[in-house]
Amino acid sequence: MIYKSKLISRIFTLILAFVFISPIIWVVMASFKTTAQLETYPPSIFTWPPVISGFINIFTSMNFLGIIGNTLFVATVSTIITVFICLAGGYALSKGVFRSKDTLALLMIMTLFVGAQVIMVPLFFVIKDLHLLNSLWGLIIPAVFTPTGTFISLQYMKGIPNELLESANIDGANEWQIFTRIIIPLSTPLIAVLSIFSFTWRWNDFVLPLIVINNTKNYTIQMALGMYQGQYNISWDSIMAISAISLIVPIIIFLIFQKAFVRGLMAGGVKY
Amino acid sequence: MNKTKNFFYLKFIKNRFIFLIPLLTFFVLFVVIPVLLSIFMSFTSASFQGSQFIGLSNYQSMISDSYFWNSLIVTIEFAGMSTILVFIISLGIALLVQNENKFSSIMRVLFYLPYMTPLIVAATMWKWMLNYNTGIINFILTLIGLPAVDWLNSNPNALLSVIMVQVWGLVGFMAMLFVTGLQSIPSEFKEAAIVDGANKFQTFFSVTFPLLKNTSILVLVLSLAYTFSNSFALIYIMTTGGPGYGTTVTPLYIYQTAFTQYRWGYASTLTLFLLAMAIAIGLFALRVQNFRIRKRG
Repeated sequence: MIYKSKLISRIFTLILAFVFISPIIWVVMASFKTTAQLETYPPSIFTWPPVISGFINIFTSMNFLGIIGNTLFVATVSTIITVFICLAGGYALSKGVFRSKDTLALLMIMTLFVGAQVIMVPLFFVIKDLHLLNSLWGLIIPAVFTPTGTFISLQYMKGIPNELLESANIDGANEWQIFTRIIIPLSTPLIAVLSIFSFTWRWNDFVLPLIVINNTKNYTIQMALGMYQGQYNISWDSIMAISAISLIVPIIIFLIFQKAFVRGLMAGGVKY
Repeated sequence: MNKTKNFFYLKFIKNRFIFLIPLLTFFVLFVVIPVLLSIFMSFTSASFQGSQFIGLSNYQSMISDSYFWNSLIVTIEFAGMSTILVFIISLGIALLVQNENKFSSIMRVLFYLPYMTPLIVAATMWKWMLNYNTGIINFILTLIGLPAVDWLNSNPNALLSVIMVQVWGLVGFMAMLFVTGLQSIPSEFKEAAIVDGANKFQTFFSVTFPLLKNTSILVLVLSLAYTFSNSFALIYIMTTGGPGYGTTVTPLYIYQTAFTQYRWGYASTLTLFLLAMAIAIGLFALRVQNFRIRKRG
Protein backbone atom coordinates (compact mmCIF):
# COMPACT_ATOMS: atom_id res chain seq x y z
CA MET A 1 0.00 0.00 0.00
CA ILE A 2 2.73 2.43 1.01
CA TYR A 3 4.84 1.34 -1.95
CA LYS A 4 1.95 1.92 -4.30
CA SER A 5 1.35 5.52 -3.16
CA LYS A 6 5.06 6.19 -3.33
CA LEU A 7 5.18 4.86 -6.88
CA ILE A 8 2.23 7.03 -7.93
CA SER A 9 3.84 10.09 -6.40
CA ARG A 10 7.09 9.34 -8.22
CA ILE A 11 5.40 8.90 -11.56
CA PHE A 12 3.52 12.15 -11.03
CA THR A 13 6.76 13.95 -10.12
CA LEU A 14 8.47 12.52 -13.18
CA ILE A 15 5.71 13.69 -15.53
CA LEU A 16 5.66 17.13 -13.93
CA ALA A 17 9.43 17.44 -14.24
CA PHE A 18 9.22 16.44 -17.88
CA VAL A 19 6.59 19.11 -18.54
CA PHE A 20 8.85 21.64 -16.84
CA ILE A 21 11.93 20.92 -18.89
CA SER A 22 10.15 20.10 -22.16
CA PRO A 23 10.59 23.68 -23.49
CA ILE A 24 14.34 23.30 -22.96
CA ILE A 25 14.41 19.92 -24.72
CA TRP A 26 12.22 21.38 -27.46
CA VAL A 27 14.56 24.27 -28.15
CA VAL A 28 17.67 22.07 -28.14
CA MET A 29 15.97 19.70 -30.57
CA ALA A 30 14.88 22.65 -32.68
CA SER A 31 18.46 23.84 -33.01
CA PHE A 32 19.17 20.70 -35.04
CA LYS A 33 16.47 21.42 -37.61
CA THR A 34 16.45 23.37 -40.86
CA THR A 35 14.38 26.53 -41.21
CA ALA A 36 11.98 24.61 -43.45
CA GLN A 37 11.51 21.93 -40.80
CA LEU A 38 10.97 24.62 -38.17
CA GLU A 39 8.24 26.33 -40.19
CA THR A 40 6.11 23.33 -41.09
CA TYR A 41 2.70 22.86 -39.54
CA PRO A 42 1.85 20.55 -37.86
CA PRO A 43 5.24 20.86 -36.14
CA SER A 44 7.64 18.03 -36.82
CA ILE A 45 8.61 16.72 -33.40
CA PHE A 46 11.38 14.37 -34.39
CA THR A 47 13.46 14.98 -37.44
CA TRP A 48 16.20 12.61 -38.45
CA PRO A 49 19.03 13.06 -39.24
CA PRO A 50 19.87 16.12 -37.10
CA VAL A 51 21.22 18.99 -39.18
CA ILE A 52 23.59 21.67 -38.03
CA SER A 53 22.72 24.26 -40.67
CA GLY A 54 21.72 26.72 -37.93
CA PHE A 55 25.09 26.43 -36.23
CA ILE A 56 26.88 26.79 -39.56
CA ASN A 57 24.73 29.82 -40.41
CA ILE A 58 25.58 31.76 -37.29
CA PHE A 59 29.28 31.37 -37.92
CA THR A 60 29.06 32.26 -41.60
CA SER A 61 26.27 34.84 -41.94
CA MET A 62 26.90 36.70 -38.68
CA ASN A 63 30.00 37.22 -36.66
CA PHE A 64 29.08 34.72 -33.98
CA LEU A 65 32.68 34.12 -32.93
CA GLY A 66 32.92 37.84 -32.19
CA ILE A 67 29.64 37.74 -30.25
CA ILE A 68 30.85 34.82 -28.12
CA GLY A 69 34.20 36.55 -27.65
CA ASN A 70 32.48 39.76 -26.48
CA THR A 71 30.26 37.85 -24.07
CA LEU A 72 33.12 35.83 -22.60
CA PHE A 73 35.24 38.96 -22.26
CA VAL A 74 32.49 40.89 -20.50
CA ALA A 75 31.52 37.98 -18.24
CA THR A 76 35.11 37.08 -17.31
CA VAL A 77 36.43 40.58 -16.65
CA SER A 78 33.40 41.69 -14.66
CA THR A 79 33.53 38.47 -12.65
CA ILE A 80 37.16 39.10 -11.71
CA ILE A 81 36.39 42.67 -10.64
CA THR A 82 33.23 41.63 -8.80
CA VAL A 83 35.05 38.93 -6.85
CA PHE A 84 37.81 41.32 -5.86
CA ILE A 85 35.60 44.20 -4.73
CA CYS A 86 33.17 41.86 -2.96
CA LEU A 87 35.98 40.15 -1.03
CA ALA A 88 37.49 43.44 0.07
CA GLY A 89 34.12 45.09 0.64
CA GLY A 90 32.71 42.10 2.49
CA TYR A 91 35.77 42.12 4.72
CA ALA A 92 35.36 45.81 5.51
CA LEU A 93 31.63 45.48 6.14
CA SER A 94 31.97 42.43 8.39
CA LYS A 95 35.24 43.05 10.23
CA GLY A 96 35.63 46.80 9.91
CA VAL A 97 35.41 49.03 12.96
CA PHE A 98 34.19 52.32 11.46
CA ARG A 99 30.95 54.06 12.24
CA SER A 100 28.13 53.89 9.68
CA LYS A 101 29.32 50.40 8.71
CA ASP A 102 25.90 48.82 9.24
CA THR A 103 24.09 51.71 7.56
CA LEU A 104 26.29 51.38 4.48
CA ALA A 105 25.77 47.62 4.36
CA LEU A 106 22.02 48.07 4.67
CA LEU A 107 21.98 50.73 1.95
CA MET A 108 23.88 48.52 -0.48
CA ILE A 109 21.89 45.37 0.16
CA MET A 110 18.61 47.23 -0.14
CA THR A 111 19.37 47.90 -3.81
CA LEU A 112 18.62 44.22 -4.33
CA PHE A 113 15.17 45.52 -5.17
CA VAL A 114 16.43 48.24 -7.50
CA GLY A 115 17.45 46.34 -10.61
CA ALA A 116 19.07 47.93 -13.64
CA GLN A 117 15.64 48.06 -15.28
CA VAL A 118 14.42 50.49 -12.62
CA ILE A 119 17.23 53.03 -12.98
CA MET A 120 18.13 52.46 -16.62
CA VAL A 121 17.43 56.03 -17.74
CA PRO A 122 19.79 57.81 -15.31
CA LEU A 123 22.24 54.90 -15.59
CA PHE A 124 22.37 55.52 -19.34
CA PHE A 125 23.42 59.13 -18.76
CA VAL A 126 26.09 58.20 -16.21
CA ILE A 127 27.52 55.65 -18.65
CA LYS A 128 27.35 58.26 -21.42
CA ASP A 129 29.20 60.85 -19.33
CA LEU A 130 31.90 58.31 -18.56
CA HIS A 131 32.28 57.78 -22.33
CA LEU A 132 31.49 54.09 -21.97
CA LEU A 133 28.58 54.00 -24.43
CA ASN A 134 28.99 51.47 -27.21
CA SER A 135 31.98 49.85 -25.59
CA LEU A 136 32.31 46.53 -23.84
CA TRP A 137 33.63 48.34 -20.77
CA GLY A 138 30.20 49.96 -20.58
CA LEU A 139 28.81 46.48 -19.91
CA ILE A 140 31.51 45.62 -17.38
CA ILE A 141 32.09 48.64 -15.14
CA PRO A 142 28.45 49.52 -14.35
CA ALA A 143 27.63 45.90 -13.49
CA VAL A 144 30.40 44.93 -11.09
CA PHE A 145 28.61 46.16 -7.97
CA THR A 146 25.91 43.65 -7.11
CA PRO A 147 23.83 43.71 -3.92
CA THR A 148 23.57 39.91 -3.89
CA GLY A 149 27.35 39.52 -4.11
CA THR A 150 27.81 42.07 -1.34
CA PHE A 151 25.26 40.32 0.84
CA ILE A 152 26.72 36.83 0.31
CA SER A 153 30.25 38.09 1.06
CA LEU A 154 29.16 39.94 4.18
CA GLN A 155 27.31 36.90 5.50
CA TYR A 156 30.19 34.56 4.73
CA MET A 157 32.87 36.71 6.33
CA LYS A 158 30.85 37.21 9.48
CA GLY A 159 31.49 33.51 10.00
CA ILE A 160 35.29 33.93 10.09
CA PRO A 161 36.28 34.04 13.79
CA ASN A 162 37.64 37.40 15.00
CA GLU A 163 40.22 35.54 17.12
CA LEU A 164 42.07 34.60 13.93
CA LEU A 165 42.47 38.24 12.96
CA GLU A 166 43.47 39.27 16.47
CA SER A 167 46.14 36.63 16.81
CA ALA A 168 47.54 37.57 13.40
CA ASN A 169 47.59 41.17 14.60
CA ILE A 170 49.54 40.19 17.72
CA ASP A 171 51.98 38.28 15.53
CA GLY A 172 52.67 41.55 13.78
CA ALA A 173 50.75 41.11 10.52
CA ASN A 174 49.53 44.36 8.97
CA GLU A 175 46.01 44.84 7.57
CA TRP A 176 47.01 43.93 4.04
CA GLN A 177 48.71 40.73 5.19
CA ILE A 178 45.69 39.75 7.26
CA PHE A 179 43.51 40.22 4.21
CA THR A 180 45.70 38.35 1.72
CA ARG A 181 47.00 35.59 4.00
CA ILE A 182 44.02 34.87 6.22
CA ILE A 183 40.82 36.21 4.73
CA ILE A 184 41.36 35.26 1.07
CA PRO A 185 42.56 31.66 1.74
CA LEU A 186 39.59 31.11 4.06
CA SER A 187 37.20 32.45 1.42
CA THR A 188 37.70 29.96 -1.40
CA PRO A 189 34.09 28.64 -1.19
CA LEU A 190 32.88 32.23 -1.31
CA ILE A 191 35.09 32.98 -4.31
CA ALA A 192 33.63 29.96 -6.11
CA VAL A 193 30.06 31.02 -5.42
CA LEU A 194 30.70 34.64 -6.39
CA SER A 195 32.45 33.64 -9.63
CA ILE A 196 29.73 31.25 -10.74
CA PHE A 197 26.91 33.67 -9.90
CA SER A 198 28.60 36.67 -11.44
CA PHE A 199 29.54 34.84 -14.62
CA THR A 200 25.99 33.57 -15.21
CA TRP A 201 24.47 36.99 -14.42
CA ARG A 202 26.68 38.66 -16.99
CA TRP A 203 26.17 35.89 -19.53
CA ASN A 204 22.38 36.30 -19.15
CA ASP A 205 22.33 40.10 -19.08
CA PHE A 206 20.13 41.89 -21.58
CA VAL A 207 19.02 45.21 -20.04
CA LEU A 208 22.48 46.77 -19.84
CA PRO A 209 23.54 45.77 -23.40
CA LEU A 210 20.21 47.11 -24.67
CA ILE A 211 20.89 50.64 -23.39
CA VAL A 212 24.68 50.67 -23.84
CA ILE A 213 25.38 48.91 -27.14
CA ASN A 214 24.06 49.99 -30.51
CA ASN A 215 26.35 48.48 -33.09
CA THR A 216 26.46 44.81 -33.95
CA LYS A 217 30.23 44.68 -33.51
CA ASN A 218 29.80 44.85 -29.72
CA TYR A 219 26.77 42.57 -29.40
CA THR A 220 26.73 40.03 -26.60
CA ILE A 221 24.91 36.74 -27.03
CA GLN A 222 21.64 37.79 -25.33
CA MET A 223 21.67 41.05 -27.24
CA ALA A 224 22.16 39.18 -30.53
CA LEU A 225 19.32 36.83 -29.67
CA GLY A 226 17.02 39.67 -28.70
CA MET A 227 17.83 41.94 -31.62
CA TYR A 228 18.22 39.48 -34.47
CA GLN A 229 14.91 37.66 -34.08
CA GLY A 230 12.30 38.85 -36.50
CA GLN A 231 14.84 40.40 -38.84
CA TYR A 232 14.23 39.37 -42.42
CA ASN A 233 17.85 38.40 -43.11
CA ILE A 234 18.18 36.15 -40.07
CA SER A 235 16.84 32.64 -40.51
CA TRP A 236 14.96 30.76 -37.80
CA ASP A 237 17.51 27.99 -37.56
CA SER A 238 20.12 30.61 -36.62
CA ILE A 239 17.90 31.93 -33.81
CA MET A 240 17.41 28.41 -32.50
CA ALA A 241 21.15 27.73 -32.65
CA ILE A 242 21.94 30.92 -30.69
CA SER A 243 19.22 30.01 -28.16
CA ALA A 244 20.66 26.55 -27.67
CA ILE A 245 24.22 27.79 -27.16
CA SER A 246 23.08 30.61 -24.91
CA LEU A 247 21.07 28.16 -22.82
CA ILE A 248 23.54 25.34 -22.58
CA VAL A 249 26.37 27.37 -21.03
CA PRO A 250 24.63 28.34 -17.76
CA ILE A 251 23.07 24.90 -17.53
CA ILE A 252 26.46 23.19 -17.80
CA ILE A 253 27.90 25.60 -15.24
CA PHE A 254 25.03 24.74 -12.92
CA LEU A 255 25.41 20.99 -13.40
CA ILE A 256 29.14 21.13 -12.68
CA PHE A 257 28.91 23.46 -9.69
CA GLN A 258 25.61 22.31 -8.17
CA LYS A 259 27.11 22.06 -4.69
CA ALA A 260 28.40 25.61 -4.84
CA PHE A 261 24.94 26.84 -5.85
CA VAL A 262 23.42 25.16 -2.82
CA ARG A 263 26.13 26.70 -0.64
CA GLY A 264 25.24 30.06 -2.17
CA LEU A 265 21.67 29.60 -1.07
CA MET A 266 22.83 28.68 2.42
CA ALA A 267 25.17 31.65 2.61
CA GLY A 268 22.20 33.85 1.76
CA GLY A 269 20.91 33.01 5.21
CA VAL A 270 18.36 30.57 3.90
CA LYS A 271 17.85 28.09 6.66
CA TYR A 272 14.70 26.44 7.89
CA MET B 1 53.79 65.04 8.67
CA ASN B 2 53.92 62.09 10.96
CA LYS B 3 50.71 63.22 12.57
CA THR B 4 48.76 63.36 9.30
CA LYS B 5 50.08 59.95 8.33
CA ASN B 6 48.92 58.63 11.65
CA PHE B 7 45.49 60.16 11.19
CA PHE B 8 45.17 58.56 7.77
CA TYR B 9 46.31 55.23 9.18
CA LEU B 10 43.77 55.28 12.00
CA LYS B 11 40.95 56.69 9.93
CA PHE B 12 41.18 54.46 6.86
CA ILE B 13 43.54 51.53 7.31
CA LYS B 14 43.38 50.47 10.93
CA ASN B 15 39.59 50.42 10.90
CA ARG B 16 39.60 48.62 7.53
CA PHE B 17 37.55 51.29 5.77
CA ILE B 18 40.09 51.27 2.96
CA PHE B 19 38.89 47.82 1.89
CA LEU B 20 35.42 49.19 1.30
CA ILE B 21 36.57 51.90 -1.09
CA PRO B 22 36.48 49.91 -4.37
CA LEU B 23 33.01 48.50 -3.70
CA LEU B 24 31.78 51.83 -2.43
CA THR B 25 33.12 53.63 -5.52
CA PHE B 26 31.15 51.42 -7.92
CA PHE B 27 28.09 51.62 -5.69
CA VAL B 28 28.20 55.41 -5.64
CA LEU B 29 28.95 55.73 -9.36
CA PHE B 30 26.28 53.37 -10.65
CA VAL B 31 23.57 53.43 -8.01
CA VAL B 32 23.76 56.59 -5.90
CA ILE B 33 24.66 59.03 -8.67
CA PRO B 34 22.01 57.69 -11.09
CA VAL B 35 19.40 58.10 -8.36
CA LEU B 36 20.53 61.67 -7.63
CA LEU B 37 20.69 62.40 -11.34
CA SER B 38 17.12 61.23 -11.88
CA ILE B 39 15.97 63.50 -9.05
CA PHE B 40 17.68 66.43 -10.76
CA MET B 41 16.46 65.51 -14.25
CA SER B 42 12.89 65.03 -13.09
CA PHE B 43 12.63 68.82 -12.72
CA THR B 44 13.84 69.46 -16.28
CA SER B 45 12.50 69.09 -19.77
CA ALA B 46 15.57 67.15 -20.90
CA SER B 47 15.13 65.93 -24.48
CA PHE B 48 16.78 66.27 -27.86
CA GLN B 49 15.82 69.96 -27.86
CA GLY B 50 17.93 70.63 -24.80
CA SER B 51 17.11 70.87 -21.17
CA GLN B 52 15.33 73.51 -19.12
CA PHE B 53 14.23 73.74 -15.53
CA ILE B 54 10.47 73.30 -15.53
CA GLY B 55 9.69 72.81 -11.84
CA LEU B 56 7.00 70.31 -11.06
CA SER B 57 5.62 70.20 -14.57
CA ASN B 58 6.73 66.59 -15.14
CA TYR B 59 5.05 65.56 -11.92
CA GLN B 60 1.81 67.17 -13.06
CA SER B 61 2.06 65.29 -16.36
CA MET B 62 2.63 62.08 -14.47
CA ILE B 63 -0.50 62.51 -12.38
CA SER B 64 -2.63 62.92 -15.50
CA ASP B 65 -0.82 60.28 -17.59
CA SER B 66 -3.33 57.45 -17.83
CA TYR B 67 -0.84 55.24 -19.73
CA PHE B 68 1.52 55.48 -16.79
CA TRP B 69 -1.12 54.52 -14.24
CA ASN B 70 -2.20 51.70 -16.51
CA SER B 71 1.40 50.47 -16.66
CA LEU B 72 1.56 50.54 -12.88
CA ILE B 73 -1.56 48.40 -12.64
CA VAL B 74 -0.06 45.96 -15.16
CA THR B 75 3.17 45.86 -13.12
CA ILE B 76 1.29 45.10 -9.93
CA GLU B 77 -0.85 42.46 -11.64
CA PHE B 78 2.24 40.88 -13.15
CA ALA B 79 4.25 40.84 -9.92
CA GLY B 80 1.30 39.97 -7.68
CA MET B 81 -0.06 37.08 -9.72
CA SER B 82 3.40 35.71 -10.45
CA THR B 83 4.23 35.78 -6.74
CA ILE B 84 1.07 33.94 -5.71
CA LEU B 85 1.48 31.27 -8.40
CA VAL B 86 5.21 30.85 -7.70
CA PHE B 87 4.44 30.41 -4.01
CA ILE B 88 1.81 27.70 -4.49
CA ILE B 89 3.60 25.77 -7.23
CA SER B 90 7.05 25.87 -5.65
CA LEU B 91 5.66 24.66 -2.33
CA GLY B 92 3.95 21.80 -4.15
CA ILE B 93 7.13 20.84 -5.98
CA ALA B 94 9.15 21.07 -2.77
CA LEU B 95 6.78 18.64 -1.07
CA LEU B 96 7.26 16.20 -3.95
CA VAL B 97 11.06 16.32 -3.91
CA GLN B 98 11.87 17.04 -0.25
CA ASN B 99 13.24 13.60 0.66
CA GLU B 100 16.93 12.80 0.54
CA ASN B 101 17.20 10.08 -2.05
CA LYS B 102 18.60 9.68 -5.51
CA PHE B 103 15.26 10.14 -7.29
CA SER B 104 14.43 13.37 -5.47
CA SER B 105 17.85 14.89 -5.96
CA ILE B 106 17.72 14.25 -9.73
CA MET B 107 14.20 15.71 -9.88
CA ARG B 108 15.38 18.77 -7.97
CA VAL B 109 18.02 19.41 -10.61
CA LEU B 110 15.44 19.10 -13.38
CA PHE B 111 13.05 21.51 -11.69
CA TYR B 112 15.92 23.97 -11.20
CA LEU B 113 16.91 24.06 -14.89
CA PRO B 114 14.26 26.61 -16.01
CA TYR B 115 15.72 29.04 -13.47
CA MET B 116 19.11 28.67 -15.14
CA THR B 117 17.64 29.43 -18.55
CA PRO B 118 18.55 32.98 -19.65
CA LEU B 119 15.42 35.16 -19.67
CA ILE B 120 15.89 36.09 -23.32
CA VAL B 121 16.11 32.44 -24.35
CA ALA B 122 13.03 31.64 -22.26
CA ALA B 123 11.15 34.55 -23.84
CA THR B 124 12.25 33.59 -27.36
CA MET B 125 11.31 29.95 -27.11
CA TRP B 126 8.01 30.52 -25.34
CA LYS B 127 7.07 33.17 -27.89
CA TRP B 128 7.74 30.62 -30.60
CA MET B 129 5.88 27.83 -28.82
CA LEU B 130 2.88 30.07 -28.08
CA ASN B 131 2.53 31.26 -31.68
CA TYR B 132 -1.14 31.18 -32.64
CA ASN B 133 -0.76 29.47 -36.00
CA THR B 134 2.39 27.39 -35.80
CA GLY B 135 3.17 27.00 -32.11
CA ILE B 136 3.48 23.60 -30.48
CA ILE B 137 1.16 24.54 -27.59
CA ASN B 138 -1.81 25.21 -29.85
CA PHE B 139 -0.91 22.10 -31.83
CA ILE B 140 -1.16 20.01 -28.67
CA LEU B 141 -4.41 21.74 -27.68
CA THR B 142 -6.05 20.99 -31.03
CA LEU B 143 -4.67 17.45 -30.92
CA ILE B 144 -6.61 16.75 -27.73
CA GLY B 145 -9.69 18.48 -29.10
CA LEU B 146 -9.44 21.87 -27.43
CA PRO B 147 -9.72 25.15 -29.33
CA ALA B 148 -6.50 26.99 -30.19
CA VAL B 149 -5.86 29.99 -27.95
CA ASP B 150 -4.54 33.35 -29.11
CA TRP B 151 -1.87 33.52 -26.41
CA LEU B 152 0.08 36.65 -27.25
CA ASN B 153 -2.15 38.85 -29.40
CA SER B 154 -5.19 39.34 -27.24
CA ASN B 155 -5.90 40.69 -23.79
CA PRO B 156 -5.78 39.46 -21.08
CA ASN B 157 -4.18 36.33 -22.56
CA ALA B 158 -0.91 38.10 -23.30
CA LEU B 159 -0.46 39.13 -19.67
CA LEU B 160 -1.34 35.62 -18.49
CA SER B 161 1.20 34.18 -20.93
CA VAL B 162 4.08 36.34 -19.72
CA ILE B 163 3.11 35.58 -16.12
CA MET B 164 3.16 31.88 -16.98
CA VAL B 165 6.68 32.14 -18.39
CA GLN B 166 7.87 34.14 -15.38
CA VAL B 167 6.41 31.53 -13.04
CA TRP B 168 7.98 28.73 -15.06
CA GLY B 169 11.38 30.37 -14.72
CA LEU B 170 11.17 31.11 -11.02
CA VAL B 171 9.52 28.14 -9.27
CA GLY B 172 12.63 25.92 -9.40
CA PHE B 173 14.64 28.38 -7.34
CA MET B 174 11.86 29.02 -4.83
CA ALA B 175 11.18 25.27 -4.53
CA MET B 176 14.81 24.84 -3.44
CA LEU B 177 14.25 27.38 -0.66
CA PHE B 178 11.20 25.41 0.46
CA VAL B 179 13.14 22.13 0.33
CA THR B 180 15.82 23.63 2.59
CA GLY B 181 13.08 24.82 4.90
CA LEU B 182 11.26 21.48 4.93
CA GLN B 183 14.45 19.55 5.62
CA SER B 184 15.27 21.64 8.65
CA ILE B 185 11.99 20.79 10.36
CA PRO B 186 12.74 18.06 12.94
CA SER B 187 10.93 14.88 11.91
CA GLU B 188 9.76 14.37 15.52
CA PHE B 189 7.10 17.03 14.99
CA LYS B 190 5.54 15.17 12.10
CA GLU B 191 5.90 11.80 13.80
CA ALA B 192 4.17 13.12 16.90
CA ALA B 193 1.26 14.34 14.80
CA ILE B 194 0.98 10.99 13.05
CA VAL B 195 1.07 9.15 16.40
CA ASP B 196 -1.76 11.42 17.53
CA GLY B 197 -3.75 10.15 14.57
CA ALA B 198 -3.45 13.04 12.14
CA ASN B 199 -3.64 12.20 8.44
CA LYS B 200 -1.26 13.57 5.82
CA PHE B 201 -3.27 16.70 5.09
CA GLN B 202 -3.81 17.49 8.76
CA THR B 203 -0.11 17.00 9.42
CA PHE B 204 0.78 19.36 6.60
CA PHE B 205 -1.67 22.14 7.42
CA SER B 206 -1.37 22.08 11.20
CA VAL B 207 2.28 21.09 11.70
CA THR B 208 4.50 21.50 8.63
CA PHE B 209 3.04 24.64 7.07
CA PRO B 210 3.02 26.76 10.27
CA LEU B 211 6.66 25.76 10.87
CA LEU B 212 7.49 26.94 7.37
CA LYS B 213 6.31 30.45 8.17
CA ASN B 214 9.73 32.07 7.85
CA THR B 215 10.61 30.31 4.61
CA SER B 216 7.18 31.22 3.25
CA ILE B 217 7.69 34.88 4.02
CA LEU B 218 11.12 34.76 2.43
CA VAL B 219 9.76 33.13 -0.73
CA LEU B 220 6.94 35.67 -0.97
CA VAL B 221 9.26 38.64 -0.51
CA LEU B 222 11.92 37.36 -2.90
CA SER B 223 9.35 36.46 -5.57
CA LEU B 224 7.73 39.85 -5.31
CA ALA B 225 11.08 41.62 -5.51
CA TYR B 226 12.25 39.48 -8.40
CA THR B 227 9.11 39.80 -10.50
CA PHE B 228 8.87 43.51 -9.76
CA SER B 229 12.40 44.21 -10.92
CA ASN B 230 12.89 41.66 -13.73
CA SER B 231 9.78 41.97 -15.85
CA PHE B 232 11.35 44.16 -18.51
CA ALA B 233 13.48 41.78 -20.60
CA LEU B 234 10.88 39.03 -20.69
CA ILE B 235 8.05 41.31 -21.80
CA TYR B 236 10.23 43.32 -24.17
CA ILE B 237 10.94 40.15 -26.16
CA MET B 238 7.61 38.35 -25.85
CA THR B 239 5.06 41.08 -26.49
CA THR B 240 6.88 44.45 -26.52
CA GLY B 241 4.11 45.61 -24.22
CA GLY B 242 1.26 44.72 -26.54
CA PRO B 243 -1.36 44.12 -27.64
CA GLY B 244 -2.18 47.77 -27.08
CA TYR B 245 -0.84 48.50 -23.62
CA GLY B 246 -1.96 45.14 -22.23
CA THR B 247 1.48 44.03 -21.05
CA THR B 248 3.27 47.39 -20.83
CA VAL B 249 4.83 47.25 -17.38
CA THR B 250 6.21 50.49 -15.94
CA PRO B 251 9.90 49.77 -16.73
CA LEU B 252 8.93 49.16 -20.36
CA TYR B 253 6.86 52.36 -20.45
CA ILE B 254 9.83 54.27 -19.03
CA TYR B 255 12.11 52.68 -21.61
CA GLN B 256 9.81 53.78 -24.43
CA THR B 257 9.46 57.28 -22.99
CA ALA B 258 13.23 57.63 -22.72
CA PHE B 259 14.59 55.77 -25.72
CA THR B 260 11.92 55.99 -28.41
CA GLN B 261 10.30 59.33 -27.53
CA TYR B 262 13.49 60.82 -26.02
CA ARG B 263 11.55 62.49 -23.18
CA TRP B 264 14.37 62.03 -20.68
CA GLY B 265 13.17 64.51 -18.09
CA TYR B 266 9.73 62.95 -17.92
CA ALA B 267 11.22 59.43 -17.94
CA SER B 268 13.29 60.45 -14.90
CA THR B 269 10.16 61.48 -13.03
CA LEU B 270 8.60 58.10 -13.74
CA THR B 271 11.85 56.41 -12.70
CA LEU B 272 11.66 58.13 -9.33
CA PHE B 273 8.15 56.88 -8.78
CA LEU B 274 9.17 53.31 -9.63
CA LEU B 275 12.24 53.67 -7.45
CA ALA B 276 10.10 54.76 -4.50
CA MET B 277 8.00 51.63 -4.95
CA ALA B 278 11.08 49.41 -5.20
CA ILE B 279 12.52 50.96 -2.04
CA ALA B 280 9.22 50.47 -0.23
CA ILE B 281 9.32 46.76 -1.12
CA GLY B 282 12.98 46.67 -0.06
CA LEU B 283 12.26 48.24 3.34
CA PHE B 284 9.42 45.84 3.88
CA ALA B 285 11.70 42.91 2.99
CA LEU B 286 14.40 44.13 5.35
CA ARG B 287 11.89 44.38 8.19
CA VAL B 288 10.95 40.78 7.57
CA GLN B 289 14.60 39.79 7.43
CA ASN B 290 15.39 41.64 10.67
CA PHE B 291 12.48 39.97 12.32
CA ARG B 292 13.90 36.60 11.31
CA ILE B 293 17.37 37.38 12.60
CA ARG B 294 16.10 38.62 15.93
CA LYS B 295 13.87 35.63 16.38
CA ARG B 296 16.73 33.29 15.65
CA GLY B 297 19.34 35.01 17.78
